[in-house]
Amino acid sequence: MAKIVVEHLKYRYPLTDELALKDISFTIEPGEFIGIIGENNAGKSTLCQALVGIIPNFYKGAYGGKVFIDDLEVAKHSISEVCRKVGIVFQNPFNQVTGSKLTVYEEIAFGLENMGLSRTEMMERIDYSLKLLDIYQYKDRNPFDLSGGQMQRMAIASIIAMRPEVIILDEPTSQLDPQGSEEVFRAVQSLSQEGISILMVEHKMEKIAAYSDRVMLLKDGKMVAFDTPQKVFSLENLEQYGVNAPAFTRICKKLGIKNQKNGCYPVTLEEAEGAINLLKNGGIADE
Amino acid sequence: MKSISLYQDKNTVIHRIDPLSKILYILVAIIVPFLLASQIASAAFILVSIIILLMGKSLKRTVPMLGFSGLILITVVIIQGIFRPDNVTPALVLGSVVFYKEGLLFALGISLNVINILMSFSILVLTTKPSDMVETFVRMGLSPKLGYVLSSVFQIIPQMTETMATITDAQRSRGMETEGNLTTRVKAFFPLISPVVMNSLITTKERAIALEVRGFDSKQKKTFLTEVKKTRSEKVIKIVLAAVLILSLIGRVLIWLR
Repeated sequence: MAKIVVEHLKYRYPLTDELALKDISFTIEPGEFIGIIGENNAGKSTLCQALVGIIPNFYKGAYGGKVFIDDLEVAKHSISEVCRKVGIVFQNPFNQVTGSKLTVYEEIAFGLENMGLSRTEMMERIDYSLKLLDIYQYKDRNPFDLSGGQMQRMAIASIIAMRPEVIILDEPTSQLDPQGSEEVFRAVQSLSQEGISILMVEHKMEKIAAYSDRVMLLKDGKMVAFDTPQKVFSLENLEQYGVNAPAFTRICKKLGIKNQKNGCYPVTLEEAEGAINLLKNGGIADE
Repeated sequence: MKSISLYQDKNTVIHRIDPLSKILYILVAIIVPFLLASQIASAAFILVSIIILLMGKSLKRTVPMLGFSGLILITVVIIQGIFRPDNVTPALVLGSVVFYKEGLLFALGISLNVINILMSFSILVLTTKPSDMVETFVRMGLSPKLGYVLSSVFQIIPQMTETMATITDAQRSRGMETEGNLTTRVKAFFPLISPVVMNSLITTKERAIALEVRGFDSKQKKTFLTEVKKTRSEKVIKIVLAAVLILSLIGRVLIWLR
């Protein structure tokens, strides 16, 4: 399974003056679930694209630093080579439909055909990913006839079917209802438990807090924090970075309730409940 | 979603035939009458095409095509029938207008040829899924990129029409006049151009990236989800078609030698 190492990554889009990514370095272990947060224009999507090699292979501009997926240096390989190791799902599902396939089933096969897989292998992978995202019943529909949420799941399924070792999701639940996005998070979590690294840009902080192992906070192209959700959301000046902590954290912050174990504010409902119960019992742990 | 292809999904024997056999049939149907220089052969192929289209339940869909080309063919009949230089034998007299036998026969030949070509192409176009057709070409060695362009056209163009309709609706809902006399319509067209063009440019860029990350540019040899059915009947069809072609070639040579 793949380990991601980013060293002093800098990038400037063509025809702009300011760097979009300013000297970012980090390491991600296999199987980690990373949430990427930050206000608009913080560089979240740019970072995602740099990890797959869309930057600097598709977008030119000034590029500095190195991105390694295991020992593969992203900038020195074509996107089609990198995409066997790293899959990316974009925000707008509509623009990810290839347009050359007439059914959802064939649509998912597109990437697999390009990888040169055998027919039986393809069918097995397609069935698996369709079922994982719960869209198996739409497999014979035209991709363009799906609703936004179904299309989004299809986009995720078509990347999952390629079995990359790292999956990057750039706001993948923007078109989904709460239940649908919960299902996507669960499916992605089960992949991360299988050892696939997940990086997810998301604005639903409660979800990020509940599912991420670590959270990366970006602001103006710089990495401000990269730590456990508890520590990141407990930052005093979080609002300055244009991020709202999960509702539970904000309530606990106002009430001054901290999780006694790590000295941070709780970030999930369960954690908040535990901290409050502890307080009610007068500081004695609930069994 | 409305489609711009003429293909209709029906489950008949003809729909299941390999596109390659259908392409071969078109070649045979065009070349054989030409080789034999025979109008009877053209007529025979038209008959065969009609039977095949009937079996494919798609004959009705050729009517608009025939109607359109019929219009042109009628002008051919009129002009050749009246004005052809080697017209000698009057065949039909309508008041002061005289139709000659030579011109009419010549026009008949042209009409048979046109209808024959039209009918044989109809079999391919009406009963083959565009994507299957493109895939056949790609398997035969067409570049997958060109194949993608060909097959995506059938979906992307209707999508663009839909985007245009959405933008028109949005503009109309904000009080723009889009219906009425010609000047209003022409005026309404201009504000439509820039959002539609910008939108398609952005969509195209994003789609290009989405294709890239799915290995579209991969050097790896492509495989295919759909299986090529190599049944015996397919083989028989191809052999029969090839035999007809060869026989007509021999026939041509024999006519020559005589």
